[in-house]
Amino acid sequence: MKNPLAGIILAPLKLMKPAVLLVCASYSAMGQADSNLYQSVDLKDIEVRGEAAATFISAKSATFVNTISKKELKKAACCNLSESFETNPSIDVSFTDAVTGTKQIMLFGLAGKYAHIQTELTPLVRGLLSNSGLSFIPGAWIESIQLTKGIGSALNGHESITGQINVELLKPDEMANDAIGPDAEGRGDILLNSYVNQGGRMEGNIAMGTNLNDQWSFGMLGHLSGRDIANDRNQDGFMDMPLGNQANVMLRAKYWGTNGLEGLFTLHGLTDEKRGGQGGSLFDSSPISQPWSNAINQDRLAFTAKTGWVSPNHNDLSIGVINHWYSQGLNGHFGSDADLLNKRTFNHTQQGGLTQVLVRAEVLEGQLYQTSGMVFNIDAYDMNQGRNGQGEYSGSWTETNLGAYSEWTYTPLESFTAVGGLRLDQHSIAGLQWSPRMHLRYAPTKLQTIRLSAGRGFRMALPMVESLGRLASNRNLTYAAYGNLMGGDMTTFESAWNAGVSYVYNFTYDYMPGSIAADAHWTVFDHAIVHDYWMPGQHMVYQESTYNGSPAKQSNSLGVTLNYKLNKSTDMRLAYRNQITEAKYWNNPSGETMAQLPFVAKHRGMASLSKAIKGGWELDATAQFYGPQSLPFGGWGGSTAFGSEQSPAFTLLSGQVRKAWKGGDIYLGIENALDVRQPNPITAATDLAGNVMAADHADFTSSFDAIRIYGPIFGRNLYMGLNLIF
Amino acid sequence: MNKLSSLLFAVLMMASLQSFGQKKVEIRFEVDGICGMCETRIEKALLETPGVWAAEWDKASHEVFVVYKPKKVSEMDLHRAVAAVGHDTKKVKAKSEIYHALNDCCKYKDEDVVKNHK
Repeated sequence: MKNPLAGIILAPLKLMKPAVLLVCASYSAMGQADSNLYQSVDLKDIEVRGEAAATFISAKSATFVNTISKKELKKAACCNLSESFETNPSIDVSFTDAVTGTKQIMLFGLAGKYAHIQTELTPLVRGLLSNSGLSFIPGAWIESIQLTKGIGSALNGHESITGQINVELLKPDEMANDAIGPDAEGRGDILLNSYVNQGGRMEGNIAMGTNLNDQWSFGMLGHLSGRDIANDRNQDGFMDMPLGNQANVMLRAKYWGTNGLEGLFTLHGLTDEKRGGQGGSLFDSSPISQPWSNAINQDRLAFTAKTGWVSPNHNDLSIGVINHWYSQGLNGHFGSDADLLNKRTFNHTQQGGLTQVLVRAEVLEGQLYQTSGMVFNIDAYDMNQGRNGQGEYSGSWTETNLGAYSEWTYTPLESFTAVGGLRLDQHSIAGLQWSPRMHLRYAPTKLQTIRLSAGRGFRMALPMVESLGRLASNRNLTYAAYGNLMGGDMTTFESAWNAGVSYVYNFTYDYMPGSIAADAHWTVFDHAIVHDYWMPGQHMVYQESTYNGSPAKQSNSLGVTLNYKLNKSTDMRLAYRNQITEAKYWNNPSGETMAQLPFVAKHRGMASLSKAIKGGWELDATAQFYGPQSLPFGGWGGSTAFGSEQSPAFTLLSGQVRKAWKGGDIYLGIENALDVRQPNPITAATDLAGNVMAADHADFTSSFDAIRIYGPIFGRNLYMGLNLIF
Repeated sequence: MNKLSSLLFAVLMMASLQSFGQKKVEIRFEVDGICGMCETRIEKALLETPGVWAAEWDKASHEVFVVYKPKKVSEMDLHRAVAAVGHDTKKVKAKSEIYHALNDCCKYKDEDVVKNHK
């Protein structure tokens, strides 16, 4: 079982080893990753040593944790956390609309907001950042990602329902200490990355760490990115991707005392702006005068202090304290001054933070330990959404939560682990909530592991922020529950139970290691926010709940993944996932019954091959299959067609060539090699003759809709990048 | 387009699978070395030898386990491959200049270094 405090407290063992061994160990890790050869299996014990593999599932952990290493992340084309999952079979990455370019992830066919996404166990993709927070974690900063499928630990929060995603960023001391020689894991004193793609996106990243003295180390993570070139491949007058830029900086200091004390202090600041919509004069010599446009501006300033203490006398007693405070803002608009009735503006701010204490202690030596603690969260929101030049919805409220939790881990045998956790939260809006969590692991043989998990989670939704991009539409927005559309009361409360079972079989065939992992997960919502697009011209938001034996929303997901090393230099992965996600819709042609969620593919497949070639070359190819997705009808010109249609199935193929040497690597790749594009992603962007329509054209006013997105808009995209380590 | 992508994959897979059929032989022999870094070096040298399918060196027993295709590579070639990167076997000794160029912590003939690793 992974030490739940690992984010705060690192094993002090490392410092005690003789220097000579440290050198050997580091070089060994480097060599393995460098050569990428046959490092995963110990032939005599037939024991899978997964540490150096690109993704691995820990055999000892009671939770179904998939660790995605730097090596796997390098296979993703670009650039930030949302795209990091593009080679992961469990997670779908998709666009929510054709204007903002915001990528969202889905787990089990459910939106990423139901997975608890954290950076080093503190929230980032939450509140005002729940829509685009993923794009604020640059890939070059990421050390590894732990993806837990199924209900998360009781310790980390009540919000994990479908899973938990924790992102570990590069630590100052690790960057400094491990830099005996730059290695393929991407560690070095100074790490530089630059990237450019055909769509005009450019970015530069820096990561550096240095030891100030025996106790203190200092690190900096920096990111600058932007796009200045507007593209319109489908010639609908709308930019295929928004223009914009982002500056993102993290300053970090780490303290490592000899008295068992340690601390990690992080200051994070970012500013991001995106401008999309009709290109107007960018594309056209005689442009429409007041183009439909979209702007999204976001900023954040945050401070995190994580301190930990490991008892020098009892290694099994430790205390961790997390303090995390932030202020963030989100403002912008959707629409044109030519049609003020459909123009929406928004201006939101959020200030908040948390203080958390965790105490871990062994109760029965080697068999039973517990982690308990308390957390206090506070969030002050000021939300303003306007329409037609005046206020539409607004809300200003402060949410507080006091949580207490305890998690007990019992390991009576090498082959069995039981983890039981319970948390009680006294929430200022939701009242007293209890979230039991349970994880069981049983390994009948050394090669097989069976896991069971079940638990409950809840969250307070911010419907308009979470679906921000869906404002790129002239649909009539209505909130049907007489509450506040912005959040802040019980009409935006969501709660669900999740249960899962998984089986992992590690095998060796023809001397080569492989694994088969299968999992099934069920998520059932008692209360859920539903966005209903089934009625033409309507976007209805309401809270559904369970009654008459039918849940508000549910997901049944079944996945199988096969990993196998075909030979000493070739890795293969095949995966299939079936996900049925349904919600209770009011505007259902057959009444208020369960219907498939739109924009979710029921069948998903993935195949990938990765080959290492002598001399530091690496080739990767990935094919992603998306089955048909349910879409609301595209009503046009006042059409009242009601109901859904199916999108066509499609396959995206991507590939990358990488050449590594001691001081870095250079990579060249292609995304969407087959140039798959969704025809007419934006309803009523052009008239029937193909001419760009102005925002005040009657057909545009009645039918404009950029949310019916099931596939890529831009198409084939070439990219190249460079990593340098000094 | 789906067909095209399936075809591309089939070609890639076939290219990877072509060597499955050939006869493979297992062998174990002693290779001197000391640490994880040696392990990496020994295994890398063997795996980069054409005809070697798999190689695993055990730090405790100093024994290497190799699976290779005798049609492509001989047993002596395997001994030469590890000696060429500085590690002695019973049949082939490493040249002393190569041994001395090894990282200090890998000097498996030096008693102090050996002691440090225990």
